[in-house]
Amino acid sequence: MTGPVDAPAPGEAESPHPVTGLVDVVHQRVRLGILTIAHEARRVEFGFLRSQLELTAGNLSQHLGVLEAAGLVEVEKGYAGKRGRTWITLTVAGDAALAEEIARLKQLIARVETTPRG
Amino acid sequence: MTSDTIPAGGDPRRLLADARGLAHRVRLAQRVTWLPLLVLAVVTFGAIPAHRFGPMVVTNCRPEPGGEICKVWEPAAQTYWLLAVVVGYVVIAGGYLRVARARGVDARVLPYAITGVVLAVVLFAAIAAGAGAWIVPDPQELMHPSTFVQVLFRLLTPLGGIGLALLVLAWLERHVALLLFALGYLVVVLVPITFGWGAHWGDEFEDAPMLVIAGGLLLLGSAAFAAAQRLRRPR
Repeated sequence: MTGPVDAPAPGEAESPHPVTGLVDVVHQRVRLGILTIAHEARRVEFGFLRSQLELTAGNLSQHLGVLEAAGLVEVEKGYAGKRGRTWITLTVAGDAALAEEIARLKQLIARVETTPRG
Repeated sequence: MTSDTIPAGGDPRRLLADARGLAHRVRLAQRVTWLPLLVLAVVTFGAIPAHRFGPMVVTNCRPEPGGEICKVWEPAAQTYWLLAVVVGYVVIAGGYLRVARARGVDARVLPYAITGVVLAVVLFAAIAAGAGAWIVPDPQELMHPSTFVQVLFRLLTPLGGIGLALLVLAWLERHVALLLFALGYLVVVLVPITFGWGAHWGDEFEDAPMLVIAGGLLLLGSAAFAAAQRLRRPR
């Protein structure tokens, strides 16, 4: 579930590199986008996600399947008149996973900015 | 068509920037800013006849050096404000949810509507109970209120409540333009400048100039936000 990890530098044993906490399911541009939109929108429609992320329906469905299997989103199908509509909601676990991913990314940026070159 | 996994050594800055950009686009899709301004403008204009034709009840008068202090209460006008504002926020919340859901997202309007309703109820109760005498217990200060007391009393009116609730909506939507509008609206309400307009309309229309100015400002704001939204919408 985690990305590759470099050997810790001397003195870094107590603070693992932020990369060690990244979860593959979330650490992916499209899936991070889905979680971000669902978090901000509270409940988002499939068509809105597709247009904002510029994905095909099939591609978006695949990513939603991964997130749903991981318990990070709930997918609810319904109707608006005769038209079928699919709504996506972030679960509590999804909310936590998104917050953790954003925190890790910020840690990574901070580490890159404070690490001297050379 | 992107489904590539970002390697751990990828660019976290870009991921974060993308996430912020998407969050901003969702907030734009959730906004229906013209709606509350339009509804509250209608509510404000509707208060003019309520103040004009409703009775003014003056009770509990007691003489004080240099004058008299009474409890003044406009039951019809205050009841109008309570009912109209509550119905207005219900309409706003329903309209927001309807428009946002048609765009494919949910709205974050409920805290705003709840704040507006709570403020309306609290202000109604405070005015009905004559809370001015509790806030300023010194009768002389009530008869000759300082600028601070005048501003405070104007804030604790239905018009002030509308402005305070708009600040909440601006915060919920992270909407800088609405924040500036709400602050400007509050300045107009708290520092009423009528340019002497309506001075000869008589006591029955004493409240009308301020209501026309506040309602007109809300109406102008509604038109401006609707135009801005129309311009921003992709064709």
